This record gives sequence, structure tokens and C-alpha cells, in this order.
Amino acid sequence: MKAGALELGQASIGSAPRRGVNKGVSILDFILRLVALIGTLGSAIAMGTTDETLPFFTQFIRFKAQYDDLPTFTFFVIANAIVSAYLVLSLPLSIFHIVRSGARNSRMILIFFDTAMLALLTAGASAASAIVYLAHKGNARANWLAICQQFNSFCERISGSLIGSFGGIVVFILLILLSALAISRR
Amino acid sequence: MKSGDATTINIAETSGGSKGKAAAAPTIVATTKATKHAAAGWKRGIAIFDFILRLFAIAAALAATTTMGTTDQTLPFFTQFFQFQASYDDLPAFTFFVVANAIASGYLVLSLPFSIVSIVRPHAIGARLLLLVFDTVMVSLTTAGAAAAAAIVYLAHNGNASANWIAICQQFDDFCQRISGAVVASFIAAVIFMLLVVLSGLALRKH
Repeated sequence: MKAGALELGQASIGSAPRRGVNKGVSILDFILRLVALIGTLGSAIAMGTTDETLPFFTQFIRFKAQYDDLPTFTFFVIANAIVSAYLVLSLPLSIFHIVRSGARNSRMILIFFDTAMLALLTAGASAASAIVYLAHKGNARANWLAICQQFNSFCERISGSLIGSFGGIVVFILLILLSALAISRR
Repeated sequence: MKSGDATTINIAETSGGSKGKAAAAPTIVATTKATKHAAAGWKRGIAIFDFILRLFAIAAALAATTTMGTTDQTLPFFTQFFQFQASYDDLPAFTFFVVANAIASGYLVLSLPFSIVSIVRPHAIGARLLLLVFDTVMVSLTTAGAAAAAAIVYLAHNGNASANWIAICQQFDDFCQRISGAVVASFIAAVIFMLLVVLSGLALRKH
């Protein structure tokens, strides 16, 4: 009986530092989610408010550039908006993990949705990057000319909005790793 | 108390009042052993499924790489002004696609031994955690390559009136079919990577 009580005491001492690390992991998870939210929301807004009109026009070429002229940019804005909405919805779950650091099933749910959102975010960001690259350089073989030479401010906007999105991608990878770490520490 | 496959508890002989507890202790040992065996069997099943998915992902990523990498279509006529040759390295997005899928294929082949280790030793979390870390990065890389190529393929099929970009697919049929097929194979590989991440997470949960 006494030996059993001693064993129990040792077990509880061993799990306290583990719970402390899990709590730290959960707090870091929450902070990273806020950072990712700022990045993706900023990207969506920066791309979504593009609107440049050049002060001259001819019959043959349009001199107005907006994000919805290119379907890829529309997909970019929608993807970033969906990821931002998901991050807002996952903040309560993250706070729950700070309070209850030992919860495993809810962390599993977070890993699942984080992976899906990582894929969506990466798809949007890299598709937009391909088009931005084309806009800057054009392509001689396909006879696509570089529209950036005319639309300066539009080009700067679409290039800058990629930064927040790529930052969000890095943060999402870290979030998945943190959740996996917290799950495996028992 | 020893750690290992079975836990043994030293039962001290005490007075008759605690006889009930002494009888319960061996049952607890047996239950712990049975739970660990059930968990090991479940984890082994996940590990085998993980290995099979990796094989499929190798097939998908290799198919994407080779299909895109061997594109080379030359139309049987030419003029002074227009190029009538199309291959993957004409577009930097496609070059990135080939490189990303090649890296994914190489990583998958290298990760097969770790997957086998997870099958043989179901309770080893080091191998699983390592695989999860790299699988997450590979989800991102594969999706990035596939999406960038998909954006260009979409342009090639539809063109864009506002930017004055013409749809090159109308001339380069075979090239277009190849690049579209390669993008589809790459997206399949990306979905398999996502499944692998979730599987690794599930296996780590039952630790």
C-alpha cells in the first residue's frame, strides 16, 4: 500500500513539467494563430482593393486593372478570406487548449483542419505568384507581354500582398508541428 | 516497477483487510498489457496504411515529374515572327513544378525506411514525428508547385482578355494535354501527403 502511494506520487511529479511545456506550446500556438490571421487578412485586403486606371485609353487595349480581371487573383482573395475566417474560428479552440493542455482529440481536429488550410493557402499564394511573375516578366514564347510596365501601382500591390500569405504558410507549418508535439508528449 | 512490455507490481503481504485490493492488482496488470497490445495493433495498421499511401504518392509524384519534364512539342510549320516550339522550360512555373515534384518523389523514396520502422516498432514516436515534420513541409511544396502550374495551365487554356494574353492551347494540343495531366497527378500527390500528415497525427495520439 505504501509502495503504491509512493509510485503514484512519483507519477504526478513526472507529469507536472510535461503539462507546463504543453501549456507553453498552447500559448505559442495561440500567438502564432494571431500572427497568421493578421498576415492572411492583410493579404486578402491588399489584393482585394486593387484598382488602377491609367489616364488615357485607346480602342484596342484596356487601361484598367483590378484583381478580378484575373481569375487566379480572385481565387487568391477567396482562399485568404477562407483561411482568415478559419483562424478566427479556431482561436476559441486554441484558448481551450491553453486552459486544458492535455486535450488530445480537439488537437487532432486542429491538425486536420490546419493541414487542409495550409494546402488551400499554399495553392492560392503560389498560383498568384505564378501570375505575378508573368505580370513582371511576361513570356516571349507564349507571346504574353509584361503588364507591369504599364500598371505600376497595381503591380506593386499584387506583389506586396503575397508576402502576408507566404508568412501565413510558414506559420501554419509551425502550428501543425506544435500540435503534433503537444499530442505526442504524454 | 519496471518499464517495458509488461508492468509488474510487487504485492506486499498485508493484513486481511486489504485482501480485496491484492486481488484487484493482478487484474490491472493484465488490463494494461491488453490495452498496450491493442494500441500496438492499431498503430501497426495505421503504419501499414501509411506505407501503402507513400507508394501511391511516389507513383503520382513521379508521373507528374516525368510527364511535365518530357513535354516537347514542335508544330510542323514556322514563320519569322512566332515560335512554334513548346516545352516545359519555356515557362519558369513549370520548371519549378518539375523541381518540386522531383524533390517530393526523392523525399518519399527516402522516407520509406522510416515508414517501415514505424510498422516494425509501433511505439517509436521519433520516426513518426520526423515523418510528420517533413510530410507537412512536402504538403506545402507539392501544393505550391501544383497550384503555380495550374494557374499557368488555366491561362494556357483560356487566355486573358484584360492582359492581352492569348490561349496557347489552341495551337499546342499535345503540350496542353500533358501539362494538364501532370498538374492533376501532382494534386493527387498533395492530397496523399495531407492524408499522411493526419495519419501520423492519429498514430501519435494513441501514445
